[in-house]
Amino acid sequence: MSGNHPTLADANRDLTRPISRPGKRFFIVLGVTGLGILLGGGAWAYQIAAGIGVAGISHPVFWGVYITTFVFWVGIAHSGTLISAILYLFRSGWRTTINRSAEAMTIFAVMTAGLFPLIHLGRVWYFYYLMPYPSDRQIWPDFRSPLVMDVFAVGTYLTISALFWFTGLIPDFAVLRDRAKGLAYKAYGALSLGWQGSVREWRHYRRVYLYMAGIATPLVLSVHSVVSWDFALSIVPGWHSTIFAPYFVAGAIFSGVAMVVTIMIPMRWAFGLESYITERHFENMAKLILLTSMIVGYSYATELFVAYYSADPIEIESFRWRANGAYALPFWVMVFCNVVVPQALWFKKIRTTLPALFALTIFVNIGMWYERFVIIVTSLAHEYDPASWGLYTPSWVELAILVGSFCWFFFWFLLFSRSLPVISIAEVKEHLAHDLEHAADTGAASANGSQENG
Amino acid sequence: MTPPERPSETGVCGASCGCAAGDSPGATTVDSNRNGANATSRRRFLQVLGTSGAGAAAAAACGPPDFADKMIPHLVQDDTITPGVSDTYATVLHGGPTEVPVHARVRDGRVLTVAPNERFPGGTQGLSSLNHSVLQDLYDPDRLSGPRRANRQNGQSGWDGASWDEATQAFTAAVAGAAGSAVLLTGRVTGVTARFLAAWARAAGAEHIAWEPFGHEAIGGSGYPGFDLSGADEIVCFGADFLGTWLDPEGMAASFAEARTVEGGSFAKFTFVGPRLSLTGTNADEWLEARAGTEALIAAAVANEVAAARGMPAPAHAAGVTVDRAAEVSGVDADRIRRLAEELAGSSSAVAVPPGIESQGPDAQAAQRAVEELNAVLGASGRAVVADSRTRGVNAGHREMSRLVERMRSGQVGLLVTAGANPAYALPSAMGFADAMAGVARKFALASHLDETAALADWILPANHALESWTDAEVGSGHMALGQPVMRPVFDTRQREDVLLDAARQLGLALSAEVMAADDYAGVLRSAWTAGLGGDDQWREALKTGGAAADSLDAAAMPDFAADTGGANGTGGEAPAEAREGTPISPDRTAQAADAGELNLVVYPTPQFYDGRGANRSWMQEQPDAITKVVWGSWVELHPETAAGLGIGRGDMVRLTSAAGQIEAPAYPYRGIRRDTVAVPMGQGHTAYGRNAEARGVNALDLLAGETDPESGALAYAGTAVTVERTGNRGRLIVTQGALDDLDREIAHAVNIDEAMHAAELAAESHEVDLTQVVEAAWDSDPNSPYRWGMVIDLNSCTGCGACVTSCYAENNIPVVGEDQAALRREMSWLRIHRFEEETADGGFTTVHQPMACQHCGDAPCEPVCPVYATYHNPEGLNVQVYNRCVGTRYCANNCPYKVRRFNWFTYDFDYPLNLQLNPDITVREVGVMEKCTMCVHRINRAKIDAKEEGRTVEDGEIQTACQSSCPTQAITFGNLKDPDSAVSRAARNVRGYHALGELGVRPAVTYLEAVTHAEMPASGHADHAGRAEH
Repeated sequence: MSGNHPTLADANRDLTRPISRPGKRFFIVLGVTGLGILLGGGAWAYQIAAGIGVAGISHPVFWGVYITTFVFWVGIAHSGTLISAILYLFRSGWRTTINRSAEAMTIFAVMTAGLFPLIHLGRVWYFYYLMPYPSDRQIWPDFRSPLVMDVFAVGTYLTISALFWFTGLIPDFAVLRDRAKGLAYKAYGALSLGWQGSVREWRHYRRVYLYMAGIATPLVLSVHSVVSWDFALSIVPGWHSTIFAPYFVAGAIFSGVAMVVTIMIPMRWAFGLESYITERHFENMAKLILLTSMIVGYSYATELFVAYYSADPIEIESFRWRANGAYALPFWVMVFCNVVVPQALWFKKIRTTLPALFALTIFVNIGMWYERFVIIVTSLAHEYDPASWGLYTPSWVELAILVGSFCWFFFWFLLFSRSLPVISIAEVKEHLAHDLEHAADTGAASANGSQENG
Repeated sequence: MTPPERPSETGVCGASCGCAAGDSPGATTVDSNRNGANATSRRRFLQVLGTSGAGAAAAAACGPPDFADKMIPHLVQDDTITPGVSDTYATVLHGGPTEVPVHARVRDGRVLTVAPNERFPGGTQGLSSLNHSVLQDLYDPDRLSGPRRANRQNGQSGWDGASWDEATQAFTAAVAGAAGSAVLLTGRVTGVTARFLAAWARAAGAEHIAWEPFGHEAIGGSGYPGFDLSGADEIVCFGADFLGTWLDPEGMAASFAEARTVEGGSFAKFTFVGPRLSLTGTNADEWLEARAGTEALIAAAVANEVAAARGMPAPAHAAGVTVDRAAEVSGVDADRIRRLAEELAGSSSAVAVPPGIESQGPDAQAAQRAVEELNAVLGASGRAVVADSRTRGVNAGHREMSRLVERMRSGQVGLLVTAGANPAYALPSAMGFADAMAGVARKFALASHLDETAALADWILPANHALESWTDAEVGSGHMALGQPVMRPVFDTRQREDVLLDAARQLGLALSAEVMAADDYAGVLRSAWTAGLGGDDQWREALKTGGAAADSLDAAAMPDFAADTGGANGTGGEAPAEAREGTPISPDRTAQAADAGELNLVVYPTPQFYDGRGANRSWMQEQPDAITKVVWGSWVELHPETAAGLGIGRGDMVRLTSAAGQIEAPAYPYRGIRRDTVAVPMGQGHTAYGRNAEARGVNALDLLAGETDPESGALAYAGTAVTVERTGNRGRLIVTQGALDDLDREIAHAVNIDEAMHAAELAAESHEVDLTQVVEAAWDSDPNSPYRWGMVIDLNSCTGCGACVTSCYAENNIPVVGEDQAALRREMSWLRIHRFEEETADGGFTTVHQPMACQHCGDAPCEPVCPVYATYHNPEGLNVQVYNRCVGTRYCANNCPYKVRRFNWFTYDFDYPLNLQLNPDITVREVGVMEKCTMCVHRINRAKIDAKEEGRTVEDGEIQTACQSSCPTQAITFGNLKDPDSAVSRAARNVRGYHALGELGVRPAVTYLEAVTHAEMPASGHADHAGRAEH
């Protein structure tokens, strides 16, 4: 990086640097995640061979860690499209340096999440029964089932997110093509779809990107709404609630942004991107975390209040037990991590101190996993028939697959970080060009920039 | 269809695959060729080659067969068998509290299920869990196949295989060598079987001791009393678990339910006196918490009061027992005893039931006499209580066993032949039966299992199961049941009578000529029955109906098989008549027993294990106990307050120490037990017997010193004092029920009788019949379908015995998941029985037993959440599960408010030969598939096919679900809700009807009828009921 402010050439160089020749450290980390995948994959293979019973789920808690983790990853997937699409439509310039990673995170999170409905099936080898394929028995899936809605919601989300991500990457592929040789040249060339950077191409590109953002925006709301219906459309006390869609969307953004921060802080350090991903970005994301934390906290309170106000003894008992029964610890972990801890973000000092922010987002990640666990497990464990109440403890298989899912996610993210620009070069340059014009005018921006780069 | 004399012996595969199948005369089948690889003929070789490859031929000849690819059609079809159509044979089951005439359903040479024999001349009432589970006894993988000789070298105990020839030779030699000092030890026997065994024993110079662990010696007399509770308006039970394990539980349950019909106008009040609410006790309106062993003292006090009130002379045995004295000793409030006496005195049709097995103390006979006298005072004797209604048969008492142990120990027994008895387990170890076995020169066991007694034998000659044998039994009121083998022996076994007969012929014993001339015991039995019945046609009729009524059988004409014409009965059988006399009941004696220790021990048999013989049947191990809902283990019941005082929580291991021994088991706090009492179920803690029984739980008998009632000789199960302490460890207590309180969620209802009557009056006055449930439900099927299947379960009739649960296992191929999976609450039972404790107005509780299976909701929550239509609503209103379609998302189970869906977490195995019991009408499910009650849809379809062929619709009562047919109290009604006159529609219109969790609006097809009690229920229940009655 040269001077106080990166130039356009700096941007090309800095932002493609991670793609060149990874070091030993990278391979060690990649190897660890690979082992984690083997662990999780091995556990899954064992589960398929031995039977789903090697998981701890049982009567009456038929859903456990798998669905918890599914919802968790779908939630993580939210921030990417939120940051890329919605903030793009709102012309929030600060999104520029984080949207690429956030989108990548989205795709890998959906890829991870999508495994769990399969992992949790009793007979995974018949998973295609959930797809509307032309069966000779002329049976289609039941579109009334939220699980079928899930297939479409998550499938659509994955498709649109991937297309949106790819669209944004086209000019960057061209940059990489221009700097690459041999096989990489051909690969990046093909991926860039022959991008030449002409004005006409740019005009089309900007249009497509805008439309894609428009298409992706409602999905941010729809996916997690549909996922929430997995629960809200049932009659299970603790699930059957109209608040679930907005509550889940807020929670998803909350957890997604937290995960973006969790990933960005080490990535920025590892790749030396301090001048591109600045404290301003983190502070904005921290504010978003604080906002969604408040919404989530409000939802918790609403749930409890509505249960009380409904005067339905079954509903009341369900929530009384949630906070006070065998799973009280997960419940209070959830409240502490998701509502209490984020209150620290009222302080600018915390919002701009990266180690503190990093630690805080770890709390949020844990809290949001527990939120889904609490919703799923405590509701099922304490349903209508008191004679069928029972508890659930995850087995090692479920935990191994949980660990494996994180490794799977980070494995892809690591590969991404070394093969594609983690920050949108085209957009950064666009802003740099804009800023450079301003800098020539006032000179104030550069002073500010040096401070930030401290 | 006329059943053949010998049932079909075709046994397509495994049934006839024993390696010495030739021992069963007249049994020639295609498969007989398969015995041993050497016997492989060219034709056989080609057959096997064509189906499974030559390599499998040798293996296929003997091991557990793999049916799918080795089934061979008969070259010449057996004209008694239609493939795919089952035949029903009448036979009789032994080995429970009473012998039960049953219908065995046999298909392709294998018995699949047993059901009550409705055509039996004496009638039958339901079938208990234990009775259903005889199928698992028959197909038990742990059964012995082929004779074995003990090999006890260097202190090692092992077994060598032997041929039947060697075994019978050894047996014959032993019998010949031990004349005069031999003992034949069997279970209780009646009928021709008893005569034969007695005659054989006499001829062989042996003593025949027929012994049942629960011999009810204290009752005395030549038979067991029969109780007809149906006309009673006051029933008081002094301790017997007559709905679970005592005398004739199914018969008594039926008449008990009849006495408690709300609609009949008279609803008997039932008072239970005892230290612990047993299955019977939980059905009571009032509980007098008497100390263990003092129950009859209250009976004596009440008898005195009633006699005084009626101006009758004071009963002799109750002399001097005042209410205050009885109250003091028993720990029951004197006013409550007086109130009971007043109620009984004011009743014209009261009946008292005596102490049972668990209340059998050191004054057992005096206790029986006291209750007999109470019945006499109440006028119930002869009216509701018929003495000697069922023969005791040849039935030695505990006293004979004590004598036998003494003789064995002192070397006076030269030969002990055990056949159908397991004293090494079922006698208290303090009596030292196992040690005394060392003093016996020759020990033969004609046993089906390597149980504790057989394990001590020199030779084991494996015996046929009752379903593979010719048997008979007197089943009460003089009716005789006839048992025929319903299939070929599963293993290389022989009927015990045939073994004895064989020895008799070899030795030329002095038996009658017809016995010596008979081919086998079947011939002996047949000739005897034919003589008694008067002809061959009657014999065939008896085979068909399962027996003969008392008046059609001339017992005197039946031979006694002796070479001379001596007495017919064996030794040690009938209790002498003077046993009815004896010492009067004494408060002092009883008080001593009750106050001797820190806590009074109650040792009680459970309906699932009875005297321990249910313990190796996995259905019984996985059958939740009626009270505690514990499976796969033992437990110790104690009052929650006592437990809290000792710092004991549920599942904590506790150590019980008595003078005789100690046991350790997990604790189960139970409100239905006295604070000074601790209870342990019998039946577990086997050291041999098989994979499910061994090393599981504890044998409660280890705590007993073997004390007996000096008058009747009955073993004292009550009257032991124990100390209880925590061991500090946690035990494995697998409880299949969550909470015991339904939290007023409209799941289980109990109402006071006055409220129920009032509601019925209101409904009658307003001339409005509440049809809404039926009509609504009827909309939930295709309007063009003539059927909407539904069920009514009367909680007032349900006693909680659990027969329906086992019946469902047997019918529907429900797998047993085993201890470890059960600990994860993964049991597969489609039908479970809730036990809810409903609070009463006086601070106590009344128990509601509630069978809970799929409710087949009209608006089923499980259906729309299934992504693949694996569960859907069929045109007849059934909620149907398509196993092939199910992918296992388990959402349906989450969304089922009744939690009746069961998931196959694994593919569960049916170990050979248990797989032979699988019902071919039902799919065997694989891993990852959801399942649940189908309302026996295969039976529905069978009936519909029959009806269609005859051009009609299915008639009411034509279809019985498996649970329904086994229910002794007919608590379950099934049928077509669209037919307003069907039994189920009429029952569903009962004003007591409600839908479980009705406010959810899922429109269940199952209507529950409220349980009714004389206990005062809290006010909320009243308002609720009145409100519903008026709409």
